[in-house]
Amino acid sequence: MRINKTILTIGLPALLMFALLAFFRQSGNAVEAPKAPPAPVAVDSTKCIAQTEYMRANHMKVLYEWRNSSVREGNRVFIAQNGSRFQKSLKTCLGCHATNRLFCFNCHMYANVRPKCWNCHLSPMETP
Amino acid sequence: MKKVLMPLAMVATLALVAYVGVEFLKLQFIFGVVIPYTAAVLFVAGFLFRIADWLIRPVPFRIPTTAGQEKSLDWIRRNPIESPHRAWEAAARVLSEVLLFRSLFRNIRAELRKDASLAYASNKWLWLGGLAFHWSLLVIVLRHARFFFAMVPGFADFLDHADSFFDVTLPAFYISDAIALGAITFLVARRFFDAKVRMISLPTDYFPLFLIGGIVLIGVLMRYVVRLNVMPVKDLMLQLMNFGFDPPGEIGTLFYVHLFLISVLLAYFPLSKLMHMGGIFLSPTRNLCNNSREKRHVNPWNSDIKFRTYSEYEDDFREKMKKAGLPVEKQ
Ligand code: HEC
Ligand code: HEC
Ligand code: HEC
Repeated sequence: MRINKTILTIGLPALLMFALLAFFRQSGNAVEAPKAPPAPVAVDSTKCIAQTEYMRANHMKVLYEWRNSSVREGNRVFIAQNGSRFQKSLKTCLGCHATNRLFCFNCHMYANVRPKCWNCHLSPMETP
Repeated sequence: MKKVLMPLAMVATLALVAYVGVEFLKLQFIFGVVIPYTAAVLFVAGFLFRIADWLIRPVPFRIPTTAGQEKSLDWIRRNPIESPHRAWEAAARVLSEVLLFRSLFRNIRAELRKDASLAYASNKWLWLGGLAFHWSLLVIVLRHARFFFAMVPGFADFLDHADSFFDVTLPAFYISDAIALGAITFLVARRFFDAKVRMISLPTDYFPLFLIGGIVLIGVLMRYVVRLNVMPVKDLMLQLMNFGFDPPGEIGTLFYVHLFLISVLLAYFPLSKLMHMGGIFLSPTRNLCNNSREKRHVNPWNSDIKFRTYSEYEDDFREKMKKAGLPVEKQ
């Protein structure tokens, strides 16, 4: 009797967990594996992905939108207003803004913001 | 109704004044430099004047409100905070009032029941709402240090990080923003929906609430919704801190509305009930020691009274007293 009880108390939850797991694996919104980054179309690198004035104030909102839509919805390509396509990634920003390693930090030190992105993402200070 | 709508209209008008002044009349210099300086001067001078005025008023007698046993015989247990006896105990009492709103914690609500019986119940909502409101505003103000100093003091930095602890949304969501908005809503709603409080509320109660509400609302809008470039804002603030007079750079109009409402708040501060910020420290019912039994407190402006002691009296009348057969102390 005793052994049965132990088996039950351990086994039932375990069974439930497996059932749940199976359920979520099926019902989860399967996101396609990320495709290869968009073919490098000739990009006008003299302009930012949006108007400069807009970027100065709103770049973090752009990044927020990029992060959510690319990681959660798998929509990894951003089409700028002039039709150029960009991969939604911090690397894209740094691709153009690589000449000045302190590009992001100058402003942020002045305004005293320290985005936590570089905790995980490659920081412009670390790129060769 | 009028006493709610009037202050609301005033705050709206003030906001409109700044909007029109900057958006159409291009008075960036007036609203960005002249008015903030004026408001700061009015605030500091007015605040100091009010405090000095209170400080020089004599407080001859001990009038603390007590709610505990005062110091008495050694074997009677006394309550050092409720009935302070030493200066540091009174200081602890004032501080707990300032930091934790102790007396609001005792708030009691009287309510007439349906069966016409009067019921009293502890009511902590005002205490909680007030605490949330004041603390979140304090955190918000200290956090703004990042706009005022080139090298941001460590505690402001720490507050900023603690406040954006959840690390959701970009720009990072501040917990204090949500608490401040919620608390202001509650405090305004309390004045609307509680009949007794509605009765005693005056336009001067609503005006600061709406003003602060407007400032917080615009601040929140600027951070999360209609963002504006922060760089020239910091330029302007650093300049103001260094007493410079250069015209401000390109900043969105909403910022000037925010700044103008803050200027109005600062200028209005010494004239209003908001002075409880300084007054609470000088409140004699809180900051005095309850030691009348232990120490004699003499009213300083009493004129000197010539007292006549019994022995002097007896010296004068000894012979007559003896004749009348009255007992005398000295033969
Ligand atoms: C195609 C190249 C390119 C990409 C990709 C790009 N930028 Fe830019 N960005 C520019 C250029 C060029 C400017 C300067 C425009 C000017 O001076 O008018 C600029 C300006 C800016 C500015 C304003 C700088 C200032 O001096 O005020 C910010 C902020 C900015 N970018 C952020 C970003 C972020 C964040 C990303 C990634 C989401 C990004 N940029 C991606 C090219 C790019
Ligand atoms: C805890 C670590 C961590 C932090 C902090 C972090 N990220 Fe990420 N981020 C990741 C990982 C892991 C991925 C890859 C997920 C994937 O591709 O499915 C990612 C993906 C992204 C992407 C999608 C495109 C790409 O680069 O693959 C963007 C955009 C992005 N992050 C932006 C940000 C921004 C902006 C911040 C700062 C506010 C930030 N991240 C902070 C871990 C992090
Ligand atoms: C023109 C100056 C400027 C440049 C250049 C700039 N930023 Fe910013 N960034 C700011 C300011 C100012 C803030 C803070 C805004 C605020 O506090 O409301 C900010 C905030 C952010 C935030 C949100 C941080 C938070 O916790 O709220 C992220 C993420 C960010 N920037 C990413 C970047 C990246 C990545 C780059 C480089 C590609 C970059 N920024 C370049 C000025 C700049």
